[in-house]
Amino acid sequence: MTGTHLLEVRGIDVSFGGVHVLRSVDLDADSGFTGLIGPNGAGKTTLFNVISGYVAPKAGTVLLDGVEIQGTSSLSVARSGVARTFQTPKLIGSMTLLDNAMLGIDGRKVEHPFLRAIGAPRTERRLRAEASEMLERFGLGGLLYQSVSSLSLGSQKIVEVARALLRQPRLLLLDEPAAGLSVTDVEALAAPLAEYANAGLAILIVEHDLELVKRLCPEVIVLEFGRVIASGPPHEVTQRPDVVAAYLGDETLASRK
Amino acid sequence: MQSGDLKVQSKLTSITTSKRNRVALSIAALVLLGVVAVALPHYANGFQLFVVTEIAIFSVACLGLTVAIGWSGQTVLAQTGFFGIGAYGTNYLFAHHVPWLISGLVIAAGCALLGLIVGLPAARLKGFYLAIATLAFAELIDQVYNDATPVTGGANGTAVRIVTIFHINPASALWYMSIFLLVASALVVRQFGRTRIGRCLRAVRDADIATSSLGLSSAQWKVIAFMISAVLGSLAGTLYGQALTFLSPDAFSFDLIIEFLVVVFIGGVDRIWGAIIGASFFVLIQEALQSFGFYQRVVFGVTLLLVVRFLPGGIVSIVPTARAFFRNRRDQQLSREPDVARAGAEQA
Ligand SMILES: Nc1ncnc2c1ncn2[C@@H]1O[C@H](COP(=O)(O)OP(=O)(O)OP(=O)(O)O)[C@@H](O)[C@H]1O
Ligand SMILES: [Mg+2]
Repeated sequence: MTGTHLLEVRGIDVSFGGVHVLRSVDLDADSGFTGLIGPNGAGKTTLFNVISGYVAPKAGTVLLDGVEIQGTSSLSVARSGVARTFQTPKLIGSMTLLDNAMLGIDGRKVEHPFLRAIGAPRTERRLRAEASEMLERFGLGGLLYQSVSSLSLGSQKIVEVARALLRQPRLLLLDEPAAGLSVTDVEALAAPLAEYANAGLAILIVEHDLELVKRLCPEVIVLEFGRVIASGPPHEVTQRPDVVAAYLGDETLASRK
Repeated sequence: MQSGDLKVQSKLTSITTSKRNRVALSIAALVLLGVVAVALPHYANGFQLFVVTEIAIFSVACLGLTVAIGWSGQTVLAQTGFFGIGAYGTNYLFAHHVPWLISGLVIAAGCALLGLIVGLPAARLKGFYLAIATLAFAELIDQVYNDATPVTGGANGTAVRIVTIFHINPASALWYMSIFLLVASALVVRQFGRTRIGRCLRAVRDADIATSSLGLSSAQWKVIAFMISAVLGSLAGTLYGQALTFLSPDAFSFDLIIEFLVVVFIGGVDRIWGAIIGASFFVLIQEALQSFGFYQRVVFGVTLLLVVRFLPGGIVSIVPTARAFFRNRRDQQLSREPDVARAGAEQA
């Protein structure tokens, strides 16, 4: 099995102070979208934290291209090509959209360390153009010089996705990117993401908007109480009685179904 | 889509024109400053020249804190240490026949290295613990002033060997060098602030958890901030030694650490102008109230309280705060506009 998928999560166990949050979780992701769904508190964000190196699991392995990455640091996982967003966006409110997006480039491996360090105008200008282009793709081209704190939560989430893409990752983890977005914002977000997925980027997406998940993901995994209770194509999985039951137990999702 | 593109296009062009204007304005301002700076020694008396020189020197040291405290958010209390090393160290080398400029640069490089050595463990500390650790470093250096008698003259102090440049009178020469160093440091810090270093340090300050997910090492950037701060502190110290003409441990005491902090917080901790305005305010009040030691403290204390309460961004934020206040209505209209543009772009 090893080496056949870009991301292989095997037997992950996590507990916080004796409370089991993840139990023997397995998951694979390859290029294109993979959905991760489940009711509130199921452990989705925790699983993202394990994959991205923020939480060390009690047991289990995370393989990226066959290389074990669990238990290293979030920094080294990021540097090995994993980008992520957070459930509540973590941007620098006092900085402009463009500068926030630039941070995605700033964290890449640097080609000309000295020129980059002193912020040589030529290089800086070229990279700014790249960041602007990315923001324009997401429909934010008119707001490049606005400070992020003046944006709606929805736009902030989109900026965070753009920033993560600018890192040029192999694997992108999106934690509820569409939560709190207007219908038009969801479209502005989904279209460019789909292009990246088609071009071969692996995107693992946690999302409560099941319509969006059904549309984007050929494959979903359902978590409940820290266990994988189902996986497969979204249309089949969401028909399964145990999945429906899990969701019925969760009011926010039951109303959205 | 087209209307959106046009909007972006016109916005970009208007930004380049306004940028060109700003560049022209900056150059004009620099030239004006140059003329005033060159002319100043001919019109100012000795005391006035000393005061403006001191302002320039303090501004440079405080620019270091703008980077370390303002941008990267570290409570660094070590700056007097580097300030003192700059003063004593340069003087020691200069007294031993190393050219003065080289002495200053060698000591600054040494402070960068020392900043690295102190910064590596300090980067793992936060808030109160970092404050204590860096304070301990400054205190250690203070002990060195007192005990390394052959180099520092100990508690009795040591006379400064005064540098002469092209037969210009030393006070004028010092003023020229100080204002030059201030302008150069401010331009470098400004350049840093607008590019990778500035962005990354602010990310470390405001989104510490997220920085590692961006592939940015907080520890590494904190150390870089620390080193920049150390170099600026040291260079300022090199000049301060010349200004004092006599070095003794009292000149770099615990009071000075607090004074530096007061300067940057009153001025505006994450702005270049904040350091300069803060230093001006501090030096002017200090000289004005020279004979009222106690009231000096009261004025600083009260000002600091008022600033923290009413202008958390420091004195430098008066202009933007006022502007925001008066433009409130217009801003609300402006912020609505881009939404319209976007909605239009999405429909097409
Ligand atoms: N650092 C932590 N310490 C203790 N408990 C935690 C910690 N992080 C998460 N938990 C708990 O783990 C469980 C799973 O949380 P997690 O955030 O992973 O769920 P989720 O599936 O992302 O939920 P949501 O849909 O609400 O975002 C919750 O019960 C939560 O309270
Ligand atoms: Mg979550």
